[in-house]
Amino acid sequence: MIIELREFTRVEGNGKAEIVVEDGEVKNVRLKIVEGPRFFELLTLGRHYYDVPDLEARICAICYLSHSVASVMAIERAFGVDVPEEIQLLRELGLIGELLESHALHLYLLVAPDIFGYPDAIRMATKHGELVREGLAIKAFGNRLREIIGGREIHGINVKPGGFGRYPTVEELELFERESGALLKLARRAVRLFASLEPYGEKAEHFVATDGYLWGDKLVSNEEGTFHYTERIEERSLVYSFAKQSHYNGEPFLVGALARLLLKADSLTPMAKRLFEEHREKLATGYVSYNNLAQAIELVYSLERANEIAKTLLDKGLEGENIPIAVREGEGIGYVEAPRGVLIHHYRIDGSGNVFYSNIITPTALNHAMMELSLLREAKRGYGELDECSLIQRLEETVRAFDPCISCSVHIVKL
Amino acid sequence: MMEKLKLAVFELTDCGGCALNILFIYERLFDLLEFYEISEFHMATSLSGENHYDVALITGTVSSQRDLALLKEARNHSDYLIALGTCATHGSVQASVEGSIRKKLEEVYGDKGNPMRALDSKPVVEYVAVDFALPGCPYDKEEIYQVLIDIAKGVEPVRKDYPVCVECKLNEYECVLVKKNLPCLGPITYGGCNAACIRSGLGCIGCRGPLPGEVNPASEYEILKDLGYDEDYIIRKFKTFARWEP
Repeated sequence: MIIELREFTRVEGNGKAEIVVEDGEVKNVRLKIVEGPRFFELLTLGRHYYDVPDLEARICAICYLSHSVASVMAIERAFGVDVPEEIQLLRELGLIGELLESHALHLYLLVAPDIFGYPDAIRMATKHGELVREGLAIKAFGNRLREIIGGREIHGINVKPGGFGRYPTVEELELFERESGALLKLARRAVRLFASLEPYGEKAEHFVATDGYLWGDKLVSNEEGTFHYTERIEERSLVYSFAKQSHYNGEPFLVGALARLLLKADSLTPMAKRLFEEHREKLATGYVSYNNLAQAIELVYSLERANEIAKTLLDKGLEGENIPIAVREGEGIGYVEAPRGVLIHHYRIDGSGNVFYSNIITPTALNHAMMELSLLREAKRGYGELDECSLIQRLEETVRAFDPCISCSVHIVKL
Repeated sequence: MMEKLKLAVFELTDCGGCALNILFIYERLFDLLEFYEISEFHMATSLSGENHYDVALITGTVSSQRDLALLKEARNHSDYLIALGTCATHGSVQASVEGSIRKKLEEVYGDKGNPMRALDSKPVVEYVAVDFALPGCPYDKEEIYQVLIDIAKGVEPVRKDYPVCVECKLNEYECVLVKKNLPCLGPITYGGCNAACIRSGLGCIGCRGPLPGEVNPASEYEILKDLGYDEDYIIRKFKTFARWEP
């Protein structure tokens, strides 16, 4: 017997699941990504490098800037270009904006209704309007950062190889400094709320992240030093999904906020670090549902870090100079931490600046196997125990904990 | 109090941005909810199961049999259907990938079959009649707010009829095509974004599709050629968001 779950709600994109039951026992679960394929790797082939980040931004709306930055970094590495600290800090500020916007959307509008027992945040707002408005305030600030650094709330084209189209003004930096400080109180409240979630899903054993907090030169895991994705991560096609499935050393693994905190707690800002220590024991169990708590702690981190960066840039003053690009044949990989985990863009570029090889792996594709495993665990636990409605609710919550970005996951890689 | 209109948001294959953008209206979402109740919007709510919608917003391209079935279902149950965003109105970037679906599946998934029944991506408007089309990758959220308010008040929403250049001039931005020789598609692109890319000092990439009517793509083509851009490059740029011929 196969129990077919209708398409998941309150997640980004279109996906559903099948539970395979034999002799009264759950035998298997298939996570079906039904969002149509989007073929972004093919789209970039033959394109001039300068236009590529603008195309790649279209992979995703929630994390467009992560795609732009990963794409720009891969291009710069292919050309052997290093950008100065100022440009790096501004990119980081944009990525922080994305983290705030994405985590706030996920936590306040998509997950919080589960905690309070509502089908959505709009209906939840009748009783918990304050909380919804707090979430929207953090989200709006994150989007403001994306708009100014990225050029637009969604799909901006301001992030370019070698720098930016337009640099922020002193007034804008002052606004970032002021607002990030003011919102911190709200984020701390969120940590308390999401710490109340119970453990569910699978206990992850392998965690992977980039070697810096929001990007890196390589990847790291809890088991070994740095490595390139090609050395450890393998992708497989599935007959029942438009998203491929990835394994790390042959095993399912977790990327995202929980992995980042567990692997890189040393780089956290003071208040985020204190909150992490407070909840360390819980987080270290590896239950995927604690990814929500990790995201709430990252809201605090992001606001503190945005404040630091704005201060630093205001003290130093902005040069606003782009680094010239000299086209040459080359290969580069951009590793970025998108809000929901490691994002990889890998290109080869020819002597006239056109891309001739392109490979993209998104966090949801990396988490796909762990998502399936978590669903299997919850289905086994709940089948026969819970009524069908509660079981489905729990399975939806389990998928939601990953904050999957299904649209992102379907443009898959060329092997 | 008057009865609220039933609003549905359906997402076919896309980046999620056009559905998400509705939530980016922030507090004014509550103003919209004075007139509408959300009956279907699976990114935002777990409720669904209505069989009639007063207004339906469709985002994304038709890229699979699932999308096509969902689109027909939505059309059959909606009074007023809006194709929202460039994927739905023109196909956007994902429809610009060349080659047949079988070839693409083989190249990316390494699989000759098509078990998930994928189709070549096409805009919604190629399959069903729509009551209004609002392009943009993404569309401007102020525009959809206005359109929904107009409909609620019984007024037919107005289509803009000018290119991006008009908004650029109104903002007094420097012309990047003339002054910086950047390949800017502003002169032939449907306005409404408030010249977002030119605000960043960069050229318009044409994400809202071609402005119908009096624009002159042939002359834009000549201008870009005179600036030294090669033919392939210009044509690819023209075809990135909408499949039009110069």
